[in-house]
This record gives sequence, structure tokens and C-alpha cells, in this order.
Amino acid sequence: HASSCRNYLEWVSKVRVNTQAVLKRAQQIPGRNKNKKQWQAAWLLRAVTCIDLTTLAGDDTPGNVHRLCMKASQPVRADLLQSMDMHDKGLTTAAVCVYPSRVADAVKTLKAANSRLPVASVATGFPAGQTPLKTRLEEVRLAVQDGAAEIDIVINRTLALTGQWEAMYAEICQFREACGEAHMKSILAVGELGTFTNVYKASLVAMMAGSDFIKTSTGKEPVNATYPVAIVMVRAIRDYFLRTGHKVGFKPAGGIRTAKESLVWLTLMKEELGDEWLRPHLFRLGASSLLADIERQIYHYVTGHYAAYHEMPMA
Amino acid sequence: MAGSTIKTVYDIFQSMDYGPTSSSTATAQAWLEHQSGALGLFIDGRFVLPAGRQTCSVTDSSGGSVCTTVCATDEDVSLSVSSGASGFKAWSALPCHVRAKTLLRLVSGLQRYGQCLSELCDLAQSPSSFSALVRLLQYYSGWAQLRDTLLPDWTPRGLVAVVVSDDCSLYSLMLKALPALAMGNTVVVIPGVETAIPALLLAQLFVEAGLPAGVLNVVTGNVLSLASTVAQNPLTSYVTYSGNKNDGEKLCRATAGMGVPVSLSISLGATCPFIIFESADIDSAVDGVIETAFKKKRECQWLLCVQESVLDIVVARLKSRMAGMKSVPLQKEGDRRLVDAAVEEAQQQGATLIQPCAPSPSGASYPPTVLCGMAPSCPCVVTPPPGPLLPLLSFRSQTEGVTLGNHSPHGYAASLWTEDLTLALEAAKGLSVGSVWVNSHSVLDPSLPLSGHKESSNCTDGGKEGLFQFLRPSSSSPSLPRSSPTSLDYSRFGTATSAAIIPQGPDSSSCPRSYLQYVGGKQCKSESGSSVSVLAPDGAVLAYCPDAGRKDVRNAVEAAIKVQPGWMKRSPTDRAQSLFTLAKALEMKRRDLAASLHSQTGLSLEEVDKEVELSIAQLYDWAARCDKETGGILPVPQSGSALSIPEALGVVGVVLPDSSPLLSMVSLLVAAVAMGNAVVMVPSPKNPLPALEFIQVLQSSDIPAGVVNILTGGRDQLTQALANHSVIKAIWYWGSVEGCQYLQHTCASPLKNLWLHCLEEKDGGRVWSQPPPSLLEERWRRAVQWKSVWIPTA
Repeated sequence: HASSCRNYLEWVSKVRVNTQAVLKRAQQIPGRNKNKKQWQAAWLLRAVTCIDLTTLAGDDTPGNVHRLCMKASQPVRADLLQSMDMHDKGLTTAAVCVYPSRVADAVKTLKAANSRLPVASVATGFPAGQTPLKTRLEEVRLAVQDGAAEIDIVINRTLALTGQWEAMYAEICQFREACGEAHMKSILAVGELGTFTNVYKASLVAMMAGSDFIKTSTGKEPVNATYPVAIVMVRAIRDYFLRTGHKVGFKPAGGIRTAKESLVWLTLMKEELGDEWLRPHLFRLGASSLLADIERQIYHYVTGHYAAYHEMPMA
Repeated sequence: MAGSTIKTVYDIFQSMDYGPTSSSTATAQAWLEHQSGALGLFIDGRFVLPAGRQTCSVTDSSGGSVCTTVCATDEDVSLSVSSGASGFKAWSALPCHVRAKTLLRLVSGLQRYGQCLSELCDLAQSPSSFSALVRLLQYYSGWAQLRDTLLPDWTPRGLVAVVVSDDCSLYSLMLKALPALAMGNTVVVIPGVETAIPALLLAQLFVEAGLPAGVLNVVTGNVLSLASTVAQNPLTSYVTYSGNKNDGEKLCRATAGMGVPVSLSISLGATCPFIIFESADIDSAVDGVIETAFKKKRECQWLLCVQESVLDIVVARLKSRMAGMKSVPLQKEGDRRLVDAAVEEAQQQGATLIQPCAPSPSGASYPPTVLCGMAPSCPCVVTPPPGPLLPLLSFRSQTEGVTLGNHSPHGYAASLWTEDLTLALEAAKGLSVGSVWVNSHSVLDPSLPLSGHKESSNCTDGGKEGLFQFLRPSSSSPSLPRSSPTSLDYSRFGTATSAAIIPQGPDSSSCPRSYLQYVGGKQCKSESGSSVSVLAPDGAVLAYCPDAGRKDVRNAVEAAIKVQPGWMKRSPTDRAQSLFTLAKALEMKRRDLAASLHSQTGLSLEEVDKEVELSIAQLYDWAARCDKETGGILPVPQSGSALSIPEALGVVGVVLPDSSPLLSMVSLLVAAVAMGNAVVMVPSPKNPLPALEFIQVLQSSDIPAGVVNILTGGRDQLTQALANHSVIKAIWYWGSVEGCQYLQHTCASPLKNLWLHCLEEKDGGRVWSQPPPSLLEERWRRAVQWKSVWIPTA
């Protein structure tokens, strides 16, 4: 294991990213998708199935977490789905995502509603990760204990910025162990990594240490999920797959609010990694207000009218 | 069938396919209908639809007829040329700012009718970027405004014929037509099939924008026959061509001897290296390959060169990126057969294929295909087949990568990928191509010169550099007189042997001296060993000089090309020092040179002294210029740096005029050599002695052996030999009408830059004794080719 780790680190050291080429590629992505009508509606529904419906606020209570879970398990108005013949396809979001303290509430609600929707929890001193390793590990264990099936950990940016990739690798390996059976998503907090090259390196290290997903941001940094940064990360995913045969998922999060953006994200995945990365087991969208906008666009497709927000059931 | 293609939301939800893209062509159709579906010629500011002409049908991608265009006759051509010639009086007399404003007004016209234009381009299968056209107009409007301020000693040529091949893009056409108009010329555009419709619309918009009638005419039909008819008309001053190589060559041959300069930009079909070094951002490089290499319509044929250390990584990435790509429609009927044959041949030679899917058994499309494991000698590398095929070659070291990229007759462009700045700049310097795209590809902007090296062009488009093809120095008249081609037997030109020297009898008192010629820094006889006699003005035999032929040209070119790269690499200051030593050496030997001039020309001692003096001055002048005539960093619309660099052409053949034999030779020699070229010079057969005497001066200077070579003998014989040597990139010729015709005909392939003169100066050699600044500028611009290096940054 140690020698493979050293091989990996050599691989990390050779990473080169040309910023302008990445930016140019990112500019082309939105133009690739000119979907209209039922194609657009179908793609929007696909986006819904990839959403990690999220609430991460200081004022979260069992009440609003309950509402969130119920919305996640019936994300689009039934009559709209019916008119597209999609009502019996078991359409839900991919997961709900909450703070560790709210995991138990969410698990309880979903169980009561007979839903098998997984609960995801952020952990490891979210969002800054500036707490002792011991407490960060404990946080993971407690969230898993409470029933979280997915853990979104934040990486230690201090180690990334000071180039201590080996130490970062070791730390994430410990998180992996603490997660046990739960899926682990590693949040890179790209807005604080400085360069694309660092983003690529951090992506590789996170994958080597056993992440099931790599995720762009916490939503709390100044810069969140942008298309260029996503291109760098999905390239790392492809690179990792080509070398090891392991498919790792991707989760952009932070600032994704419109239906149009969600379509660009799907296009980006399709163009860069192919159709397999359009399913929730390899692609998630971390968002809170996105769902409402998608639902309104679907309403427009079905009825030809533009909806007001209050016409859609609230989360 | 129709029922099964309706996909439900659930179908798409599962498959996640893209929907069909529908592009409307309603606006374009409306315009075409307004023209009754039959487009006329655009002559003298309006559409004319002469009766009884053949028509040609323009088809869209599905083969349906879009509309018809007229096949113009000689009569139509002559109307358009005379309209252009009379339009020239009005247009060239306007103040610069009025011309500039007209171009700017077209920008708003374009913005109004942009939809119509892009739909028409799509219909005619010649997609073009609307924003690129706007950029062209804005850029050249600026030059129209500033012509008199920044190019004061230059004047427009007159009526310019802009000719493009059938497959050429609208951008390339406008890159010729707009600078011509901006400089005050009038233009007859002869568009190809694909550009005919958009060019006609643009002409109409131009007139709406206030362009006077006759300034821009568009004549459609068979490009080559129209072009030669236009060239034959004595009112035409210049013909410039953009497009494929084949038609360009034919155009040169068809117009040889008409006395009109013709230049070619082979903007299509060049083989261009796409070089991926180990230090590259491999993913971005592979993205670039995917984006550019398999397009249905692409301007160049890429050749993927990958450093061996990253070959596996690149191949793996290509495989994964190409998976799921769809087959690409082929351009022409018979292409599929050619593609199949090429792929089969490559496989027989051991190539492995990267393909997203197996090709359908028949049909006019083919999947994108990378041919791995090719060698430079493979037929699909030497003559690339059509279709979405990309040969992949590997190289070991950085130097080998550049060598591999250079090993082709083409010199249009190269794309190179590395994160190592030093390597990028070194490779950019080493590649003999007109455009180097670092970590990018296919970037164009009119502010940068586009000047293909080697066989890719013999003129420069774009940038300030590209304006000069549409201008001439105000002080001089065109150097070629209008003429009709004579029935020259091209295979026999220059093959006559010189008159043999026979013993003159027993007059031993004044045995004429035998001179030697100068090859590779050594004085030598001709290979054949024979000599010709040089006569004094009174007809007496003054001396004997070698009668050089093909073998001597071969030796001289070999000596020149051996030393030229090193000479070019030396710093300009270094070259300047060498030229100073040449000037000093001439000062030392001024008496000898004056004496030889005197005996050769019979001019008074005072006059020959003056010629020597002026020659010395020319040497000092160009020594000073060496490090002053440079390129620079140009502002481009995107972020990053773009460099424009003048580079030596290589070996230049100079066939010298009879007049001012020393001064003309020194003036041309020093202009070429100062810019880093090596020269093979052929002194006037009438007055060769000063040049032969000058060999002493060369030998006592610091100029490296081989940079200057001097061969004497028959002008036609040596011209023929120079024209048929592929290493020679340019020929500067003073001589007969037939010689000009021969060169125009022969130097189409391999392509050479020609600078032709077949008139003795009427002003008593003032171009030599008192050259105005614009003439000196023309000399150095004739001695260089341009390279653009793009280094985009974030």
C-alpha cells in the first residue's frame, strides 16, 4: 500500500493544468446543449433525480427538516408528472443533506414516510474544517450512528495549500475508515485552493484515499461551483478511472439555483465523462433553491404558462 | 418510421440523448425569394441578371437547391472590370476618414442583417462566424482611417481581383477584400461556390452602407476561367488568391505572362502538426484534438505528434474522449472509397485504430479515426486522405518533435502544447510555419499577419504587414508592363547553350582577363568549365567569365542553405557588425571597383566614383537597419500575448538588372542578407565585372562563406535553374518579359515569392541612387516572411 501511495504521489506531482484552455473549454459547454420541449423536460427531471436537497443553516429545526424530506420524496407536483406519464417512475431527489445534529430528525421523518431516500450529512468541522482531527473523526462516527448513509467531509485546506499531500491522504483515509459502510463525499472547497493545479491534485488525493464522490464546495466559500473548476475535477476523475478502473462520482454544490444551470451541469458531465455520469450514483447536484426553479420550468413545459413560486409546493 | 421517432419524456429521461437541433433558415429564404431564387452578378452597385447566361445551382447539405447563380461571361467580366476601374477614381480620391466610415457603417448593416447572413452561410455550407466578420470590418476601418498617417509614401494599386477557390471560407475572402478596399483599391470578387451567396449579400449591404458604385463587384461562375479573364484585362492591377493549392497553381499558370502580379495564400488543405510535449496539460491538448481534428469542414489536415513518454496517456485519453462520437459526413461522393482504401493501407502497415464505432458498411460518413503508429513515410501522412482521419506519430525528444513538425512541404500553422515557457518559445522559433498556436489551435485575428511559410503562401494577409500587397510605393510605377502571354515553350526556356568562345587570333598584346565566380566562399570556375566573353561598351572583348549552369546553381544553393540557418540565428547586432566590415572592405577597395565599373560601363570616372560611394552608403544604411526592422507584441481581442516576428526567407535568388551594376547589386544583396537570408546572385550578363570584382570585397569581410554566392552566365539559363530549385524561396528578377512569364508559370509549384521587373528604369536609375523610404521598406519586406505566435493566457 505504501508503494502504491508513493506512485500516486509521484503522479500528483506531475499534474499540469493550463488555465486558459480550461476556461475556453468551459465556455463551449453551454452551447452543446440546445434541447427544447420534451428533451428539456426529460433532462430537467433527470436533474431532479440527482439533487442532494440541502439545508445547512443555523436555524434548522426538526420542522423545516421534515418539510425538506417530504419535498425530496415528492419533488414535482403529481399532476405535472402525470401529464408527462412520469408519475409512476418513483421520481425523488437523490438524497437530503443536513448538518450532523439534524440527521436523526431526517432519518425519522423518512422512515415514517416509508421512504428509502438516503440522508447525507456534512461532517468534519464543516465548513472550515479547522477543528482537531479527533473531533472531526468523532463527528463522522456520530453521524453514521444516527443513520446517515452518506457523509460529506471537508478536506483540510491547510494541508493542501502547504503541499502536504501525503498528510492529507492519510487524514482522508481515516475519515474513510470512520465512514464505514456510508458513502464518502470529499468537499475540496475549491474557492480556497488557489490554483487549478491544486484542485486537480486535491481531487486525485481525495480519490486515492477512497472517496466515492468529490465535491466542489461547501457553499460557504466566496467562489463555489464554477464550470472551469468542474472541468478540472472531472478530468481528474477520468484520469483516476483510466489508471485504476474505479469510477468516482462528482458533486457540484453552492450557488446552483436555476434550471438552466442544472442543464449545463448535466451537459458538462455528458461531454466530459459520458452518460454513465448522469445518474445519481455518480452525479449529484448540491442545492436548496434549485428544485423550485426546475419545477416551474416543468410547469411551463406542461401548461405553457409561467408559474409563480407559490403555485409550487414549498420545501 | 415517423411514428417511432417520437420520443416520450421517459424515453429521453432514460437515454439522456440530446434533442434534434433545428436551425431556421426563414430569413435567408425570404431574401432569396425576394431575389426570385436567382442571384445575379453584382456589378456597378446593383444586381444584374443578364439574359441568356448559364446558371449554376447552389445546394445545401441535403443536396437540395438553394438558389441559382449566374455563370458570368467575358462580357460581364469586362463590365465589372471597367466599373471597378472607374470606381477607383472616385474611391481612391476620397479622404481616408470617409472610407473608414463606410466600412464602419457596414458593421451596423451587418448587425441588422446578421441573422440573414449567417443563415445564408449555413445554407451554402460555408459556416462563418458573424463576430469574426465584424472584427474584420472594425479592424480594417481603423487602417482605412490611418492609411495616410501611418503609410504616407504608399498608394493603392488600383483594381484588385480577389479570387477564392470553391471550398474557401468567407473569412478568408474578406481577409483579402477588406484590406484592399481599406487601402483605397477597388475590388472584383470572384467567389467560389460556397461563398457566392454570402459575398453577393455583403456586396448589397456594402452599397447600402454607402460604398460608391463599382468599388466592389462580385462576379460568379467558374472561378479559374473568370480569374484569368479578369487578369487579362489591362485595367486589373493585381490578383490575389486564397484557397486550395491545386486551383492556386492553375491560376498562376493561366495568368503567367499577363504582366499582372499574382499572389497565393494556400489557406486550405495544409498539413499542420499538432505537437503534444510531455510537459503539456494533456487533457486540454486532447480536448483540442477532439475539437478540431474530425470536423466535416476543416481548413487544415492535422498531424498528431506526441512525445513518447506520454504516448500511452494520450492514447488512453483519446479513446475515452472519442467513445460515443458520431460518424462525420464526408464532403464528396467518392470520398468513402478513398477513406476505406487509406485506412486499409494504414492497417496493412501496422497501424492500430482508435474509433468510437465500426464504420457503417457503406454510406457517405465515417467515424472519427486516429491512426496510431504511423511513420512520416506512410502514404496517409504524405498525402492525407479526406475524411475524419488523424495520423498519430511519436517522437523522442523536444528537438525531434520540432523536426517532425517541420518535415512537410506545408508551412501554414502548428499547434504546440507544453506548460514549459522556454520550450514553447524555442519550439515556436524552430517551426517553419506562419502561425504557431501555443496551448491553443486555429486562433485567427486580423491584427496578426497570416503568412504561410514554404509552400503555403507567397504573400502575407492580415496585420499591417498584410496591407502592403495592396499598396505600391508612391514614387514608382508598377514594375511589370501589361502584356499578353507569348507562346513560350516552358520546357525549352533557358536551355539554349551560350555561344562558345573561339580563339580570337594572334593578338596577344591584350589578352582579356578570366574571372572566377563565387560559391560557398571560394572562387571557382563553372562546373562545365566553359566561359563566356564580356564585352566593353565599344564591343571589344573585355574579359571572360564563367558560364554557369544548373550544377553551379545546385552547388551555390547547397553552400547557401548550409550556412543560412546559422546566419539567421545570429543576433541582428551581430549581423550588423558583419555588414560594417563589408562596408569597410568596400571602402578599402573603392579604386578597384571604380576601375571595373569604368571599364565595364564606360561611364566617366566621376560617375563611377559616385556609384561606389552610394554603394558604401547602402551598406552602412542596412547595417544600421539590421536590428531596427522588427516585429512586436500585438494587441489581440483575447487575453494573452501574440507576437509577430519577421523571419528570413532562406535562400533568395537574385537576377540582377543591367543598370547601375554595382549599386543595384549591393542594394539588393544587403537588403536580403541584413534580414538573415543567403543569396545566390546572377549579375547582368551585359555588365558582370563589378559583381565579379566585388568578390574580393566579400572575401575580405566578415560575411560567412556561403551567405553570398555569385554566378555568371546566361540570364535565362540561370533563371531556369533557380526556378527549378525547391530550396530557393524567393526570386527577385530583373530581365525579359519572357523571363517573367516563365517564372510566374514555373514558380507556382513549388511556390516561390516573386518580385519581377522587366522594364529598364526610365528615370536613369534613380530607384538605386535615390531610393525613397517606401522603396527601402519594400526591399526589407520582400526579404522577410512573418510568423505569428499566439500564447493565450487566462
